[in-house]
Amino acid sequence: MEEVKDVTRRFSSRESAPLLQWSKWQLLDSILPTGGFAHSFGLEAAMQAQIVAQPQHLQSYIIHTLENTGSLLLPFVYSAAASPDLQTFQHLDMILDATLTNEVSRKASVSQGSALMRVSSSVFSEFPSLKMMRNACLSNGDVCFHHAPVFGLVCGLVGLDGETCQRAYMYITMRDIISAATRLNLVGPLGAAVLQHQISLVAEELLTKWKNRGVEEACQTSPLLDTVQGCHSYLFSRLFCS
Amino acid sequence: METGSLVVSKVCSKSTVTRCFSKYPLKFMVPTKAAPSHIDAVWIYTLTYGGGIVSGDCISFDVTVEDGCTAVLTTQASTKVYKSVALKCSEQIMEASVGNDALLVVIPDPVTCFSTARYSQKQVFRVISGSSLLVVDWITSGRHESGEKWDFTLYKSTNHIYVETRPLFLDTVLLENGNVTSIAERMQDYQVIAMVILLGPKLKHIQNQIQEDVKKMMSEQLHAPSMGGRTKAINGDGYTKPPLIASCNSFGPKGIGSVVRIAATTTESVYRFLHSQLAGMEPIIGLCPYR
Repeated sequence: MEEVKDVTRRFSSRESAPLLQWSKWQLLDSILPTGGFAHSFGLEAAMQAQIVAQPQHLQSYIIHTLENTGSLLLPFVYSAAASPDLQTFQHLDMILDATLTNEVSRKASVSQGSALMRVSSSVFSEFPSLKMMRNACLSNGDVCFHHAPVFGLVCGLVGLDGETCQRAYMYITMRDIISAATRLNLVGPLGAAVLQHQISLVAEELLTKWKNRGVEEACQTSPLLDTVQGCHSYLFSRLFCS
Repeated sequence: METGSLVVSKVCSKSTVTRCFSKYPLKFMVPTKAAPSHIDAVWIYTLTYGGGIVSGDCISFDVTVEDGCTAVLTTQASTKVYKSVALKCSEQIMEASVGNDALLVVIPDPVTCFSTARYSQKQVFRVISGSSLLVVDWITSGRHESGEKWDFTLYKSTNHIYVETRPLFLDTVLLENGNVTSIAERMQDYQVIAMVILLGPKLKHIQNQIQEDVKKMMSEQLHAPSMGGRTKAINGDGYTKPPLIASCNSFGPKGIGSVVRIAATTTESVYRFLHSQLAGMEPIIGLCPYR
């Protein structure tokens, strides 16, 4: 352990650009234990409703879900990252709780957000404010820990710029749906990787369209998918929570 | 610039419209005998001159339902939104407040936007814990017979509910034909989308009934693939997309409210669905909605 302490002492500032990359990659890596693997973003319900009946429907499904992520959730990531403080976070959390009218996605957001907050407050120990905010919110009792504001808060504190935070959020959403698609046997691992690379072009266009908006402009753009995702609790046999 | 204002208060213990102001292009009609006399509910029809909303129209009105009253807001026919001229957007805004032990029921016919129309509507409801609210908000894809399916440029519908200044339900649906995806692609073969919001003590039994009915109806239509998806077409079992998909979920602390979302291939099927699910409203408002 002595060598580790020596090393961290030599790199006095974790804010240097190369070290920031390590934190960024850790946040985007699916190995970070935030439980994203338990959610299919409505894909499982869409398959059982025959909305996604063939593997070729998968690409459209992902694009429509990403567009909805952009229109509905990016404003919360953006605002949280721009002001990573307790008051802003609590306010955004309350607004998002009223905005996610779909109970299935609301519960999924809380479950992933709580996990991310718990993990980040331990991992990014150089930001004691993260642990303090987490404790303050837990004792408050009113805070849900929704995913998008937590993600923005953590990225903002770690030092990622606004556009990168929002791109990262789109990235992890795409990553998780594609992972769910392979587990639902809709596409194989190689096909999934090819698809992910193809969709990244569209994802970047969607980011450009929907970035940097205020939460009062948050809206949903795929009501059909929202309706279908809401059916998740009616599925008799299911792999995923949402 | 207010186009209209409505107040419903108790007069001799009966819900009565005590203020009814409207100016062009909005008109309110309050028939004297809508509900049977033993039911305390007042029905108000909102109309627009010419039967539709014209490019650039801006209609805004407020509704106050005082303590203990029951008011129903409805339309005579579907709201048609005509094509946009010079890129102008038409707008309709309603602000409503519902008092204690009061009920506001908003049961319009659907909005139908014609090709190239641009339309935005916003409904803000301010309630307290003893208020009850039923709101139906729906849209069809256009004039299907003329081949107009999701052919309008922009439709935006916002529904906000605040309980004593605290936001409870903030929903905005935006359908815009954009450069990345078109509305028709996102809707697939579905031609109608609808939302029903139920909140408050007077509607609790209806909320519970709808939750059960929708669950039963949808459980029969959702089928897990019998084999993995890749080996053959997933629906090799012969299942097809349900002509009507609905999901009912609760919202708010302790699940005080319910929201039902519907997507369907025909307008008639949604009328039938609403008629059957809201049949329990008849003893409360005097008539069954969506006959």
